[in-house]
Amino acid sequence: MSDARSLLILYGSQSGNSEEIAINAGKFSSKNNLNPIVRAMDEVTVPDIISQTRILICCSTWGDGEQPDNAEDLWEAVNSADITSLNNINFSVLALGDSSYDLYCESGKEWDNWFESKGANRIYPRVDCDVDFEEPAKLWMEQSILKMSEITVDSGVEITIPENKISKNSDVIDNSVSEKLDVLTSDNIEDFLHEGDRELAVLFGSQSGNSEDLASKIVKEATKYGLNGKVYDMDGLDFNTLRNHKRVLIVCSTWGEGEMPDNAEELWKSASDDAAPKFNKTNYSVLSLGDSSYELFCQSGKDWDIRFDELGANRLVTRVDCDVDYEALATEWTFNALTSMAAVDETGNFHESKLNSIKQFVSGADTVGASGDDSFSISSLISEKLQVEVSIFRYDPQTNSTGKDTWLCSLPGNMSVLEVLRSIKSTHDGTLTFRDGVTDDPNTAISINGRLILPGTISLDSIYSPQIGKLKLTIEPLPCFTVIRDLLVDTWALERARETSEPWMISATREGKNTSQGTIGIMSQSEASYLHSIKDFQSSILLHASSDATPFSESYVGPSNIVSAWARRNDSRISKTKKNEIDKYIGSIQGINSETDLSSIRRQESNNLSISDALLDARTMALSQSSFSGRHGKHVWWYTWSIKSSGKVNDTVLFRQVLGPLGLLSNLFSGVTARMLLGFTRTGGNMINDGLGMVLPPAGIGKMPKQFNSSINNHHEVIAIFNELDGRF
Amino acid sequence: MPLKYAYHPGNVSHSSAPEVNDTMMPIAKSLGIELTILEGATSCGAGIMRQANNRLQLTLNARTFAMAESLGLDIMTPCAATAGNLNEDLQTLIGNNILLAEINSILMKTCGLKFNGAVKVHHLLHVLVDEIGLEKIELKVKNPLNFMIAGYYGPNMQQTGMCGDDDVYDPSYLEKLIQSIGGIPVEWGSRTKSVGVPGLLSEEPTVLLQSANVILDAKDEGAQLIVSACNLSHTIMDIYQGKASRIVERPINIPIMHLTEMIDFAFGHHNTRLAQLRTRISVIGN
Repeated sequence: MSDARSLLILYGSQSGNSEEIAINAGKFSSKNNLNPIVRAMDEVTVPDIISQTRILICCSTWGDGEQPDNAEDLWEAVNSADITSLNNINFSVLALGDSSYDLYCESGKEWDNWFESKGANRIYPRVDCDVDFEEPAKLWMEQSILKMSEITVDSGVEITIPENKISKNSDVIDNSVSEKLDVLTSDNIEDFLHEGDRELAVLFGSQSGNSEDLASKIVKEATKYGLNGKVYDMDGLDFNTLRNHKRVLIVCSTWGEGEMPDNAEELWKSASDDAAPKFNKTNYSVLSLGDSSYELFCQSGKDWDIRFDELGANRLVTRVDCDVDYEALATEWTFNALTSMAAVDETGNFHESKLNSIKQFVSGADTVGASGDDSFSISSLISEKLQVEVSIFRYDPQTNSTGKDTWLCSLPGNMSVLEVLRSIKSTHDGTLTFRDGVTDDPNTAISINGRLILPGTISLDSIYSPQIGKLKLTIEPLPCFTVIRDLLVDTWALERARETSEPWMISATREGKNTSQGTIGIMSQSEASYLHSIKDFQSSILLHASSDATPFSESYVGPSNIVSAWARRNDSRISKTKKNEIDKYIGSIQGINSETDLSSIRRQESNNLSISDALLDARTMALSQSSFSGRHGKHVWWYTWSIKSSGKVNDTVLFRQVLGPLGLLSNLFSGVTARMLLGFTRTGGNMINDGLGMVLPPAGIGKMPKQFNSSINNHHEVIAIFNELDGRF
Repeated sequence: MPLKYAYHPGNVSHSSAPEVNDTMMPIAKSLGIELTILEGATSCGAGIMRQANNRLQLTLNARTFAMAESLGLDIMTPCAATAGNLNEDLQTLIGNNILLAEINSILMKTCGLKFNGAVKVHHLLHVLVDEIGLEKIELKVKNPLNFMIAGYYGPNMQQTGMCGDDDVYDPSYLEKLIQSIGGIPVEWGSRTKSVGVPGLLSEEPTVLLQSANVILDAKDEGAQLIVSACNLSHTIMDIYQGKASRIVERPINIPIMHLTEMIDFAFGHHNTRLAQLRTRISVIGN
């Protein structure tokens, strides 16, 4: 019942929901290179379970926390069986239930606890679903199957958890965890890669030369995998002798309406013959080149793939069909195909358990990718393990305590930060709270070492600095939101601000353009590109959090709302009334003028530069429309004016003009002026920098250390530039 | 060969922060850095002038670049805001040939200058760590500043391509420098946060909260002293300390000094000022 890629999906169902989910899970796992076996719980026995390495459970709860009818017998059987350890099994549980009952999702919880008590490895945390189960069930299905697909039979995760060091007197919990992946040593794998027959046949069927080029490059690359590659032109090749090869890769293009290229026609005739020999000892994979604008896209490659399968050959890697931009896909296929071919021993047997070791061995080789003028290289998809110290901010709302948990881990460099969080949650601390989702889910945003990111999009090796050695990850919630628990923040205030911004278009009545699709409104390409670029932010909460002003300004609606409004305002389809409304909104007290420093937004790499440029444009518009009135307008006006006057900032003029007499008086009594004058904490030279400032106009009370600026050299050039570009000053 | 730079002192070292100018020159002399002061350079705009007219700020800064270029020198400044603003404009100009040509035509018409794009802008911190080297700095130290020192970078120069080989988000240059002059660097999270300089006069309540929170973070981590790489932030955190303290209703007194002062004192210059600093740390400190 079990093979190296099998996945047993069991369902305990009363109404049919669990069964439906299990069937869908079976389909999804097939797409992820797994061999699913979907069974009702009354169709399997205890030995069937014990023999597995991957098990998914979908189980509903019936009545008062009871197992569904078709699960009762199996539940009794597993509990009465003498099972000491299931530590070879990787599992995850989906529990269905109804939260209006006291024992909500009890059956699923029981299965989850049972597997755990027997030492099985929970690869993804249990998900409890209420009556609206579709979305969480889908997420569980996808994530757990992706985890299952990453597991190889003899490379389960071994985890040791040293004694927790919990300081009772502080909120800081320090856990040390080391995580090891069971891999073969590099010495063993090196021996394996160089023992016995290591021949690899790479066949090409080519019309334009692309397949031939690729075959040559693959052979060149194969040496790193300990393979002796040889390129075979399909033309003139004896099909009967091909069966003696243990490793065959086929690169074949398609010609015309799904036809074989010229040099492959004869070989295909031989292969198609009913009397063609069996290929029982041959391991193979096909890379198919084509052009998707033709109906029979990649047909030749598909034909070869099916034919080899029919003849009994063992398909090691799924065929890849490439369109005209084939390089990236071809590179990835080559990496996978060569790794698998390298895991075939001299007798023709494939050792799946060696795949990880081979990948690590190859990625650790001195040279990555083939060298030469062909600029062809193999992507390094697997990274070496990194020593990572993960510190995560913790907040428990029940005890109102904050602190930091620290784990020491050994993790693969290609692991994403989101996967790190999931791993810690599923294996070490189920209470860890964060928003989970798909790779680029905008709601998953967090802060890592001061960098605001979507954790699914960042791998560990992308933030690793070899000079430092150990990677330290300080993971915190986004800075400007209220923390609900741990890394989970409350974004309600931002949503409310978005709601009040009336984020919709009111279009102007305009003429359409007659096109072959009918009469439609159109937009110029440059305008569309501009609007897209400024709305092209990964996540509104992430953009909101990148402003250092948002946590401290209650009225400020934040950059994500401003830039969205700015995009609508600049859409040529907008009505004049709506445009005026948006202008007022942007220039209002809650608008762009509340942003104190655009550089904090600009510096975050997750925001493209068009966004900060758009915010600057919005501010320029707001200032211009208000004729530089109010404190903000005066600040910008007099700053710029003083530069025109001397080339330097005159902060005396600036303070006086912007703050006015009352503001200056306030500074006098608040100690600001005293600090300016006396250098109270500053380590200035003179205690009284310029006593004249206290008594002489124009600075008066707001006197800064230097009252008058001397002009810069060639000051007339500055005036000329001003006159050329902006006559307002 | 001495290191040579065209020197841009930042926006307020001639006015609100004269101590930066006082201490910059002795450092340059001690380390053998040859500074050519750009007497004709304008303010960098501090992120404020571009709000009125971005092209105006770009043109004025292009003029500054052209002057440095004609000297065959890169620009060095002790102000993070100036380093950030100049670098942003430099990247904009170099990345857009059409814009550069348009601005060059204005420069040629008004000043007879042309900027070819062959200038780099460095902050003093990156020159000290990347060009001079911490080992050489250690050798120059006469008065180790054995305090708990929080290094403040601000957001302006912590942008990709503007901070040498330092990490944009998790920098360490200041901490290394503090160690090299005998100090104990404080680990704190707010060192790249903005204190809201461009909004000081218009959004004072927000800026005071920003400033107070940065200072509090340093104090909470045990800092006895904050050293700033930015003239403007340094000035705000210093001058507005009392006012910010009243807003957050917590005492936030702590000496603030500029990077140039720290190095200057450690090298044995301005001993009386160092004495003042030591007194203030022991009296005011945390």
